[in-house]
Amino acid sequence: MGKRLLWSLVLSSALTATWVQAAEKTAIQVMHQGDPGFVAAYGKVAERFEAANPDVDVQFIYAPHDAYNEKFSAAVMAKQLPDVMELDAPFLANYVWSGYLQPIKPLIDKDLLDDMTESNIAQGTYPIDKDLYAIGLTDSSVVLYGNKKYLEAIGARIPKSVDDAWTWEEFETYLEKLSKLDGVKWPIDTFRGYGIKTEWITYAYGPILQSAGCDLIDRKAWKSGGTLDSDACADALAMMQKWVKNGWVVPQSAGTNQFFAEGNPAALALGGHWVYAEAAATMKDNIVVLPLPKFGAKGASPDGTWIWAITKTSAHPDIAGKFISFLLKDKEFRSFVASQSGYPGLKSFAAESPLYAPGGPMAIAFEQASKTAVARPPHPAYPTITSAFMQAVDEVFNGGDPKEALTSAANKIDQDIEDNDGYPPFGEEQ
Amino acid sequence: MSDIVLSIPQARSARPRSAARVLRSVQTASIFIIALVIVSPLLLLVVASLKDDRFQILADMGSFRAFWVSNPTLSNYAEVGHLSGELAFGRYLINSLIILVTTVCSGLIVNSMAGFVLACGSLKGRAIILSIVIALYVIPQESIIMPLVIMVSRAGMSDTFAVQIVPWVASPLYIFLFYQFFAQLPKELLEAAEIDGASFFRAYRSIFLPLSLPALATVSILMGIETWNQYLWPILVTQTDYARPIAVAIATFFGQDSIYWDRAMAASVLMMTPILGLYLAFQRWFVSSFIGSAVKG
Repeated sequence: MGKRLLWSLVLSSALTATWVQAAEKTAIQVMHQGDPGFVAAYGKVAERFEAANPDVDVQFIYAPHDAYNEKFSAAVMAKQLPDVMELDAPFLANYVWSGYLQPIKPLIDKDLLDDMTESNIAQGTYPIDKDLYAIGLTDSSVVLYGNKKYLEAIGARIPKSVDDAWTWEEFETYLEKLSKLDGVKWPIDTFRGYGIKTEWITYAYGPILQSAGCDLIDRKAWKSGGTLDSDACADALAMMQKWVKNGWVVPQSAGTNQFFAEGNPAALALGGHWVYAEAAATMKDNIVVLPLPKFGAKGASPDGTWIWAITKTSAHPDIAGKFISFLLKDKEFRSFVASQSGYPGLKSFAAESPLYAPGGPMAIAFEQASKTAVARPPHPAYPTITSAFMQAVDEVFNGGDPKEALTSAANKIDQDIEDNDGYPPFGEEQ
Repeated sequence: MSDIVLSIPQARSARPRSAARVLRSVQTASIFIIALVIVSPLLLLVVASLKDDRFQILADMGSFRAFWVSNPTLSNYAEVGHLSGELAFGRYLINSLIILVTTVCSGLIVNSMAGFVLACGSLKGRAIILSIVIALYVIPQESIIMPLVIMVSRAGMSDTFAVQIVPWVASPLYIFLFYQFFAQLPKELLEAAEIDGASFFRAYRSIFLPLSLPALATVSILMGIETWNQYLWPILVTQTDYARPIAVAIATFFGQDSIYWDRAMAASVLMMTPILGLYLAFQRWFVSSFIGSAVKG
């Protein structure tokens, strides 16, 4: 009986000690999205962070990409915002305006802040107070990938720099020639397979409109009517509709890899930087990376990607900042991102990425960031802007009238801004 | 003369028989084609899960190669099985099974009881209650999902199994299905039970419930499919892999930049198997229930 009592005491003491130790740990919650590779990579970073900081417990909240905004809304309503959250850069203005994020500068290692590229600073900055609210290891861009064999067969000019990009006329001439070339099923893959549940349409097709001389919204008056439904935008969208009608564009049903699929059925691809790794693996030297064509007087390319922020409700912002700093500096994580052709958002990461260095296969993509990148509108109405624009493009690709579709989108955007009294202080004198 | 008399009816009867045969052949062919159309996505799913190249899966789409695999491999299943930590599919599969079994079992009890009370009980305002139940059915889930999220989070139920079970146990549709079934049974059964001294609950448990096998099977299958395919709700109310179902796990293969069709297909086959098993187990009663409804309808 005595022995049993003794053992019970020892066991309960041990359990209590373990519980106390566990209870002493500070937990931070990190909400993120990502494919299996990234999910696994984050898990390993957390293990290393916990090993370096034994008093911290990193808890991940995974939200699938297509339901990320819904999960975020639910977390807001349930007052369960995480400490750290990954967010898509164009949504930053909406989150800051709504009061969900806190300035990140005081919480991140200074050497990392000094290391940010201009476009990385731009994607994490709130335009009203010019403060930094998020930081990322990466940024992004879209380029025009070409099948060297096909381009040589039609005698296409290969641009060597962003300044040398194809013009609208050149581009359409090549599309037409490619459509008649043996082996080419579709002249171009614009990755319609991503559908309208992602940011793809606004992200990749928006710059075509900007290059053609218009925009999704007037960035001073913050009014979409007169801009998105202008003739320049309608003409640009009518041009894309023509590509679709002519059968030049890979249909949505064909998926998202016809450029580098077996037999190379698509000759060109308007694709994100992330396509390079997979395309190069299958096409070897037959791939050529070109700047986005100029559809008007100037070129335009997209930027912005998923970046890290700290919420206002975080009980441990210092630890949250420490984790983000650790993640962005983690060598193994950087090496994984580089293997996925990650587009550098830190100067030191650019130095570690020969892919984007001068003379590297993706150097043109990096050149675009400084010469032609146009951020998506940094306005709290962005969720409405992107949703309305995506619906309009989808409608046009399915045979709708460009002018009517864009007018309807512009009305929706302006109505949302009006319903929110202009989202002050946006639109007010600064 | 007699030959002629005999030959005429023979000629007359031969034509309808051959016409009937042709009609039957057309019917069989039509059924076969319809069955093929229905089964083909399923076949495509299984075949694609046996291909080892995710790009090949897409390249084959749109041609008959989508239904053929020259070198079948189980590597996608192995990869799905080997995922660990936040992506441990075994864990998600078990979670889904726990949620499925608990929701369906509790749902059968609660909804059948409610249906029985409405059909056979002596409730005051029964017609009004029944109208409310039917009215609740037409409210789209999307419109109440956010208030429900707030309710369950305030109740401290977030990230539990309970939060994925409790809100969906009672369902207006299933209450109505049971109500309809019990209402069709003869009232004399209840009277006889009461004469024999059985309580109202005893009559439900020992007489009416055993008679409602077709309704139980129908509700099991419908509720099972609904529960098994829940996607948005678990995302909204759960945070970690502790109680998350497999539908959420499969979403990891649909990333922003890439879609891992090979593993998504294998995981989908794994996800489909238990619910297919549930259907096969109950399909006899399920079909008879539908036939019964159609005849009575």
